[in-house]
Amino acid sequence: MEDGGMGQRELQREVIDTHLCTGCGACVGLCPYQTSYHDRIILLHPCDIKVGRCYMFCPRTPTNLETMRKSLCEEKDLTPEIGAVKGFYLTRATDEQIRKDAQHGGSVTTLMTLALREGIIDTAIIAEGKENFLHRGVAVNDPAEVKKRGKSKFIVSPTVAEFNRAAKGEAKKIGVVATPCQVLALAKMRLKPVPVDEGNIDKLKLVIGLFCGWALSWRGFMELLRKKTGLDAVVGMDIPPRRHTLEVYTKDGTIEFSMEEVNSCIREACHYCFDTTAEFADISVGSARLPGRWEETRIWNQVIVRTQRGDDLVQLARAGGLLEFREAPGEALDELKKSAMEKKRTALKSIAARSGSSPDLLYLDRFDPVVRMLQG
Amino acid sequence: MMSKLIAQKEGVEYLLMGNEAISRGALEAGVSVACGYPGTPSSEIIESLCRVAKEGNLYVEWSANEKVSMEVAAAASFAGMRSLCTMKQNGVHVASDFLLHLAASGIRGGMILVFCEDPGALSSVNEVESRYFAPMIEIPLLEPANFQEAKDMTRWAFELSEEIKNIVMVRSVTRLSHGSGNVIFGKLPNTKRQAEFRCDGPILDPDTGLVFSAPVVYKHQLQQEKIKRAEEIFERSPFNTYEGPEKPGVLLITSSICYLYCREAISLLGVEDRVGVLKFGATWPLPPSFLKRHLSLTDKILMVEEVRPFLEERVKILAAGMAPEMGIKTFYGKETGHFPSVGELNPDLVVSALGKIMGINSYVGMPADYEKKAQALASTKTPQRDLTFCPGCPHRASFWLIHNALQMDGRRGFVCGDIGCYSMAILSPAGGFGVMKTLHSMGSGTGIAGGFGKFGQFGMEQPVLTVCGDSTFYHAVIPALINAVHHRANMILIVLDNGGTAMTGFQSHPGLTVNAMGEEAPAVDIARICEAIGVKVEIRDPFDLEETRETINRLLEDEEGVRVLILRQICGLSPEKKAAKRYEVRIDEALCLGENCGCNRLCTRIFRCPGINWDRQKKKARIDEVICAGCGVCSSICPAGAIKREEAA
Repeated sequence: MEDGGMGQRELQREVIDTHLCTGCGACVGLCPYQTSYHDRIILLHPCDIKVGRCYMFCPRTPTNLETMRKSLCEEKDLTPEIGAVKGFYLTRATDEQIRKDAQHGGSVTTLMTLALREGIIDTAIIAEGKENFLHRGVAVNDPAEVKKRGKSKFIVSPTVAEFNRAAKGEAKKIGVVATPCQVLALAKMRLKPVPVDEGNIDKLKLVIGLFCGWALSWRGFMELLRKKTGLDAVVGMDIPPRRHTLEVYTKDGTIEFSMEEVNSCIREACHYCFDTTAEFADISVGSARLPGRWEETRIWNQVIVRTQRGDDLVQLARAGGLLEFREAPGEALDELKKSAMEKKRTALKSIAARSGSSPDLLYLDRFDPVVRMLQG
Repeated sequence: MMSKLIAQKEGVEYLLMGNEAISRGALEAGVSVACGYPGTPSSEIIESLCRVAKEGNLYVEWSANEKVSMEVAAAASFAGMRSLCTMKQNGVHVASDFLLHLAASGIRGGMILVFCEDPGALSSVNEVESRYFAPMIEIPLLEPANFQEAKDMTRWAFELSEEIKNIVMVRSVTRLSHGSGNVIFGKLPNTKRQAEFRCDGPILDPDTGLVFSAPVVYKHQLQQEKIKRAEEIFERSPFNTYEGPEKPGVLLITSSICYLYCREAISLLGVEDRVGVLKFGATWPLPPSFLKRHLSLTDKILMVEEVRPFLEERVKILAAGMAPEMGIKTFYGKETGHFPSVGELNPDLVVSALGKIMGINSYVGMPADYEKKAQALASTKTPQRDLTFCPGCPHRASFWLIHNALQMDGRRGFVCGDIGCYSMAILSPAGGFGVMKTLHSMGSGTGIAGGFGKFGQFGMEQPVLTVCGDSTFYHAVIPALINAVHHRANMILIVLDNGGTAMTGFQSHPGLTVNAMGEEAPAVDIARICEAIGVKVEIRDPFDLEETRETINRLLEDEEGVRVLILRQICGLSPEKKAAKRYEVRIDEALCLGENCGCNRLCTRIFRCPGINWDRQKKKARIDEVICAGCGVCSSICPAGAIKREEAA
């Protein structure tokens, strides 16, 4: 940082040029200088403001995670591996149609729909799949609109940009479904690092985080897909555990891509990601992955409840019979923690390789307790 | 009101612009056909003739390009009429292939080529010396030195042309073409010649035979005899003059507007009794006897001319041949460093060179570093003013969109530029936002892009764009576009169609429904030409920012072959608009974010339309109502919705 600048120039140097950018959209929609295109963040024109929200909100600029944990979570719930855990469940939507339209158990759709219906939020920001895998965040008010957009996306959607846009408007209570990087951005915004916030972040009433191991880069993945199928033939995708393939479901059946093929298309930024479970969400949801029982468990979700308002919503869903619950075997949580820790370890290595020196962890603080535990 | 150019007032003195004086000279010569392609500083010749076309029974056209204009004018000459074609300095290069063959075939009715040069490149992207075409192609060259001569020499050039049966070049420069001075009118002829092409006589007969350049050696020989004849005529030409003492200490040899600088320099130094001026009006071929007589007057000669040492070289060559009889002379000029061989001259430069030779320091003109100092001073006291697009200019919106689309595309795409107002886009950040990376001659943007568009096999991944104006499209883009299509180049041509030849003053072009003489004309449609070539064409309005930007991005994604996008929006200054504002634009100061995060003066720092100012006291943007053209585009880019626009009443 020259002259202590924390603006667009530094954002470019520290995040864009270093390929750390996750495409979350936190820097978009605040001003005319950044926009998103496909899955990339674009700096349109130079901005010379010294301290800009773009830099301050970015999940890949330096962040004091420990402060954030203490501010946003209850200390007794904290785990080093996956952040705050108030409760851990296996759930799925009771509504069969929701399950059918969803990636796995339909728990996220159920919870967002419920939050809208109960007036906990008036606006839900969710990712919408568009043609050619060009996703974007959309703000919806009608619970039925949430149900249409239940599938995993695999390519980043600049969802936080849509939050920025919606927060400027009529919306008063906003809920967001977000990937870990997006959740981190929203968490940074909640800490109000800059005075010019206009109070919009206070409209954020619910964050449902999605487990995420990586996202694909649009251009690379499109080229890979085009080799094997027409883009409009694709109806869905998934990654079965431990099989080392990406399954692409088309109208004519399933096409498998080996992880070697897929790895070459992974967004570079994802290699530097320290968080697979969206640690600063109210609720984090992923697919249930019980060893050896994939086909049976893929229609279930693992749910980590992290905050009081998260717990309130999950309990409301339980009371209303909207979510089915199933006992989570102890090994499921252990497995989750193990793989989250593994990802953190790999990320630290990748970051050190990118920075060229192991004490320089780019956006991470080497004195952070979790980092020290991993490096210790 | 009748134009003074066709006033039958022989002997009356009028104030004329240099280009108008040239027009009057052509009218006094009884010109029937005048053609040209617009280009500063030449455009007013055809423009002023357009205005008198009806009363003067002339045929006047703005041709599609300079070569075509010369061909149309040549046809008039072949039909026995007098004709004129005009262009700027580099136009001669466009026309030169035809000029070469025309000079070899010879002409019939008097035909002159008036080319107006731009030393210092005040309105050009070159300061080429087209005088060199005269010796290269072996045709005579005249250079008027003042406004009266501009008229008189133009008129006389037609006579010379008919005398030697070949085209004659007449050269003007910016300071003569665009300056004004008093001109005494001569007589206007009452009759016009009948047009008839006689082509049934003996093949080699110059008046009734075939018009072509073969048998080449025979015709070449004939052409050189014509030049010899011109040389003899120039020995007695009243346009070659000497003024000064019988035995000058220093002889200045000059031509064109530099003659006036010489006179002024002599007067400033008070050396009228010691310095003579030999002014050539007929500069190629130089008359050797006339030259020798005057070289013999002195031993010290200073050559005064702009840009290249055209006269200097020829005079030295002739002097070398005369040396055994005349003795050896000392020449000062560009080769001795007394004058620069780039840029314009001025009286001070002549004073300085002459003073150095004569050892006079009495007059101090503008110090050499004056300009630098003045600029340094000005930059601290005046607001920065770049060359930039006018308020309401569609090009600003177009380049804004191209820039944003290329940034979003992210593959380091670039624009090959072309000639027009939009050439300014190469001067970032004055409205082009840094996207234009090459700029050459008319039509060459498309040619170059067609080349870049073939380099995928060598690993080139950058998207290739080019732009051209509507007039430029007709001028020289079409062959390059055909070439690119045929060779499947991956490129995007964006036609910035602003409905006229805007940069040079809204001359007509083949895309319009009115011709140079104001007559109804069939418009040749750019989109249909492209479609006929086999190109997919889309048409958008650059003021529809989001839709047009999306179109450009979609075209960028589509990597097959040539794509054409026509961005159609009339020039903000077009006479058709009659200065009407589409929108009344104002700033809602309560909403204006100014320098805060969220805006940081996007409108005045990045978009930079001259119609918006930054109020330093209030720290708010402000619309300059006098300057604002009311296009309303700024309202679409303001992130805070602070720029309000309402349909103008």
